[in-house]
Amino acid sequence: MKRFAFNKKTKAILGVFAFPIVLIGLWQLFILAGFSSARFLPPPYKVLQKFVILFSEPTYSHHIAVSLQRVMIGFFIGTLAGFLFGLLMGLSKTAEKIFAPFFHAIRQVPMIGWIPLIIMWFGMNELPRVLIISVAAFYPITLNTFSGVRNVPREYLELASVYGFKGLTLIKKIIIPAALPSIATGISLGLAMSWSVLMVAEIFIQTALGVGTQIQRGRDRFDIALVIAGIITVGVLGYAMTVLVQKIVQAVERGRVISTEK
Amino acid sequence: MPNNKGTLQIRNLSKSFIVDNNPLQILNDINLTVHSGAFVTIVGSSGCGKTTLLRIMLGLENHYTGEALIDGKQIIGPGSDRGIVFQDHRLLPWLTVGENVAFGLDKLKRKEKKLLVDEHLKLVGLNGFESAYPSQLSGGMAQRVAIARALASKPEILLLDEPLGALDALTRMYMQQELERLWLLEKITMIMVTHDIDEAIYLSDKVVIMSSRPGVIKKIIDVPLSRPRDRASSDFTRIKAEILEEFHLGTEYPFAYAI
Repeated sequence: MKRFAFNKKTKAILGVFAFPIVLIGLWQLFILAGFSSARFLPPPYKVLQKFVILFSEPTYSHHIAVSLQRVMIGFFIGTLAGFLFGLLMGLSKTAEKIFAPFFHAIRQVPMIGWIPLIIMWFGMNELPRVLIISVAAFYPITLNTFSGVRNVPREYLELASVYGFKGLTLIKKIIIPAALPSIATGISLGLAMSWSVLMVAEIFIQTALGVGTQIQRGRDRFDIALVIAGIITVGVLGYAMTVLVQKIVQAVERGRVISTEK
Repeated sequence: MPNNKGTLQIRNLSKSFIVDNNPLQILNDINLTVHSGAFVTIVGSSGCGKTTLLRIMLGLENHYTGEALIDGKQIIGPGSDRGIVFQDHRLLPWLTVGENVAFGLDKLKRKEKKLLVDEHLKLVGLNGFESAYPSQLSGGMAQRVAIARALASKPEILLLDEPLGALDALTRMYMQQELERLWLLEKITMIMVTHDIDEAIYLSDKVVIMSSRPGVIKKIIDVPLSRPRDRASSDFTRIKAEILEEFHLGTEYPFAYAI
């Protein structure tokens, strides 16, 4: 029984790494075949070497820490604002009529479209960077909270009115718990959005610290190994965060859909 | 009866909905008195307005002409003097069984709540299940929890909207016995909407027969049989025949229900 579980786990881990290993192999072959000069595409071991160098000095971990913190602050603000705004539009048809068209119009502007305006207004500061990240999280969280609140089953609302629950009690006892799966989806989408606009924020609003800054620095020095190392860092960290959030969402879901065997 | 609470009176009640800008009469001049502690069943084909009538009693429908009174007072909105069991158990999936039973007991202290929850779960035979989730229960068990939830706030009248409609035939008959046991024990008024004539005869003192378009009370039939009732007795089948007659379903279709 135990051996079985171990095999499964090993298989899962192998599954995760199988494709990247194949990709690295092709990359190496590509270089060995002489399709590219080392100047434009360094061999994989150069990138590995770069990682070793980067992590041997404390600055790279510091860059990562700064990026993570930036995303967390922006994501937190965006989540809170998106949740409240989505709740408001979900609860009130009037609020939806007033805000929804504006919201849907403004949502069409890609984050990068805001950069010139935001730089002119706020300068090259931490505030606009965090702001962009929070707005990116704000959209999916607003949308999913809204639809979750709107789609609370009529039967539950009727039950609440039988017991005389109104206002905040109704929101707390029925609406939020019923909308929670949808809100959780919004939160995980929001986190993914925050993480992906982090690069926009760090590359276009220049700063001394952050993973995006390192990628930008790699470009300035024509250090392609550094650029690739930066991209891999962003990808791996983003993936780790997604998995973490999925686990949290699953834990939330587990509270309501328990397997019948216990 | 220890008290005279839980008397329901409906007087000259009519209700219509607006469909495509035209008023559609749903209930027409309903007159019905349900005495304290009685078990009354309302049967009728779908669309006869029986569920609307129950919703009026519950206080969810407020636009009608005529009067709906409980203990002489006009019904305005839902209240703790009435409990409801719906056809779907309507338990909240994110709450445990115990929390679901305590749903309407917000104003009570934790200790009193726990006492009432324990008492009512025991009453429906589900003690020990308070920390289970609704998804872990069978349909019959979930409906018992719904009954416990409705009874926990100590209503004078329990309204039942086809509460056993979604259960399989055997569970259904077993739950009918359970409902009768609870009714005898709690000594409260119970008003049930159903389309199962056997169920109506098995449980009620009076069977109210409604017909549709517009919904009117066609006949009220007394069921003067002693309890527990024998579904195979000649008196039982005689009353059944009498009810089926009202639906123009004489003995040539002995198996048929009102549809």
